[in-house]
Amino acid sequence: MLSEGESQDLTAHLASCETCRSELSRIGALWQSLDLLPLEEPSGKVRERFYEMLGAYRQGLAAAEARPVRRWWTMPVWQAAAAAGLVAVGLGIGYGVRDDRSRPELVQLREEVASMRQLVALSLLQQQSANDRLRGVSWSYQVEPSDEEVLNALVTTVNHDPNVNVRLAAVDALRPFTGSPATHLIARNAVVQALPRQTTPIVQVALIDFLAELKERNAAPELRRLVSDPDIDSGVRKRAEWALERMQ
Amino acid sequence: MIRRLLLGMGLAALAAAQLGAQEGRQQITMPFRDPSMPRKLVVEGGTGSVTIRAYEGQDALIEYTGREIPGANNRGRSGRNEPPDGMHRIGGSRGLDITEDSNTVRVNSRGIFGGMARDMVIQVPAQTSVNVKTMFGGNMTIENIAGDIEAENFNGQVTITNASGSVVAHSMNGKITVSLSRVPPDKSMSFSTFNGDVDVTLPADTKARFKMRTDNGDIFTDFDVKMEANAAPVVEEEKDNKGRPRRRVRVDGTQSGTINGGGPEMQFTTFNGRILIHKK
Amino acid sequence: METVNTLVNAKDNTLMAEVSAGQVARLAVLFERYHRALFRYFVSMNGDREQAEDLVQEVFFRMLRYRTSYDPAQSFTAWMYQIARNAGVDQARKRGSAQVVDIDTYVDRRAELVSSSPGPEESASRGQDLTLLRRAIGQLPEDKREILVLSRFQGMKHEDIAEVLGCEVGTVKVRVYRAIRALEQIYFALEKEKVS
Repeated sequence: MLSEGESQDLTAHLASCETCRSELSRIGALWQSLDLLPLEEPSGKVRERFYEMLGAYRQGLAAAEARPVRRWWTMPVWQAAAAAGLVAVGLGIGYGVRDDRSRPELVQLREEVASMRQLVALSLLQQQSANDRLRGVSWSYQVEPSDEEVLNALVTTVNHDPNVNVRLAAVDALRPFTGSPATHLIARNAVVQALPRQTTPIVQVALIDFLAELKERNAAPELRRLVSDPDIDSGVRKRAEWALERMQ
Repeated sequence: MIRRLLLGMGLAALAAAQLGAQEGRQQITMPFRDPSMPRKLVVEGGTGSVTIRAYEGQDALIEYTGREIPGANNRGRSGRNEPPDGMHRIGGSRGLDITEDSNTVRVNSRGIFGGMARDMVIQVPAQTSVNVKTMFGGNMTIENIAGDIEAENFNGQVTITNASGSVVAHSMNGKITVSLSRVPPDKSMSFSTFNGDVDVTLPADTKARFKMRTDNGDIFTDFDVKMEANAAPVVEEEKDNKGRPRRRVRVDGTQSGTINGGGPEMQFTTFNGRILIHKK
Repeated sequence: METVNTLVNAKDNTLMAEVSAGQVARLAVLFERYHRALFRYFVSMNGDREQAEDLVQEVFFRMLRYRTSYDPAQSFTAWMYQIARNAGVDQARKRGSAQVVDIDTYVDRRAELVSSSPGPEESASRGQDLTLLRRAIGQLPEDKREILVLSRFQGMKHEDIAEVLGCEVGTVKVRVYRAIRALEQIYFALEKEKVS
């Protein structure tokens, strides 16, 4: 905080001045104790509102480029809307306004919001802390199940995430993708490929259950291998056996 | 940037193993460099128990004691680990390795150590993120931490008390016990074990969405959980161990519900055990 | 995945320059990096969580609105806190500047926050110390509280604080010291009050 010269002067002064010394130590203690104050966390609403606003802004921007005369955000109605109301518009769209084909601006806004969600899910999945990555997995439920980029990120998480709980959550999050015509083949295949890579029993069981539910015959060789491998946890072996029976 | 304390523990441990004596208690202080930046503690435990707790100081305080693992084969007395004639060990892979880099303190205790288990007690300021993993360890205890906690244990219990940040915890063969004195509104959490109960205590006003799954056990809570519509129970035809067909009813997979209107996700998973969610 | 990695590792200035040039979606990355810090700044300044959330929203809205005025040579955080300060001032003005003078309300609100969100199990005496510390922070004049929040809680560099406040780096150091000294005096006074 101080330059070297300043620091030397200070040291010299402190050596000779008891009052300053004790004041400095009190201040030092106080400075450190500021660290003990708990950190405040914003509620989840902040994020939701931001992404709705950003989506709306991009939509407005596109519209403004078509009508270059007046920038949209200088219009009072937009300012008010952005400040308060658009959140509601965005949410309304999120909740499936299905007959909006006749309203291209709403279709576009919905796409904007969708791509924001994709971006959040993808960037959260890359974060350092496990709880951020878990949030990324939760966000992935909000993207369209045809979104291949998010699917790939989830598959990478299932196979490589260092945290067991994050891998476990990501296995569950693959489920919507196996029901989408655009991605179900990739997703099913990913579940088959993931099983031999796992060594953690709880994740193995989650994958085995998933494969049984999908009746995924391609997984049979790996399941048989698990059943006959004495080094595998007995709970996992029984589960694999059960899954094989269920597929027949 | 990196400060490193490579402890020449090899000699001490060998001596202790040969004498069959207890290794004494050792203490090391490793400061976090920059008090204004977030602090992080990363621990990779070997054998023995790990306890991490908050204290009022500013540094990481690492204490450990060694004890003999009963019946362990103290290999290495005549192998590559023995110092060649006329030489002595000053460091290496058998020591406890403690480093600090950009406000992250790493404590690495490697593997089985000449038949010694090492119990560690690490104290850090409450506002520290903690990431702790053990491979062959005993119980893991984390107390009064206000930062984000990631804990993974293979053989013992995980007990986390009075946490006020986020918790992501897993044990392969032990019970998970967590009590949170405060739940941050914007964090996802997850508690899982393969063999054991998941026992979590939350403040009464916690807003959350629970995702719960137990394969061989029940779910208990004193919270007023608003359950979400579930997939209908599945009736399965299967064969018992004598090959006779029988029916089994399974409530499929995960059950979800919200408390206090819902909030961030909390996942509870156990394969063999109960899920208990208490209201504080 | 490559693109996402690049995004996550991109520098603040680069990202904001891209936002400025029309790739407004990049603002999401900056939002993920800074919304918590901003939220804490506003809570520390006025003690009101709900208002702090509104202000965070307002800051990111202004970043979009004034995005073309961003100069990539300028530190992004300094620019962000300049916007944050202005947003805070405007808000206070709208509310008849009640935020600045009404220390009692501030203290009450902080006290509420304390009771609703206790930190780690505090021994009775330490708990009281923290409450006292919060009250002391609440009683600091606003300029001193701000410089303390920026330097201590937000962990900003003195250079960036100087840019936010529009003064010399040397002045920042002096003012940080004065702020912590003032805090120490208030804290000391409160402690004596409590004892007597």
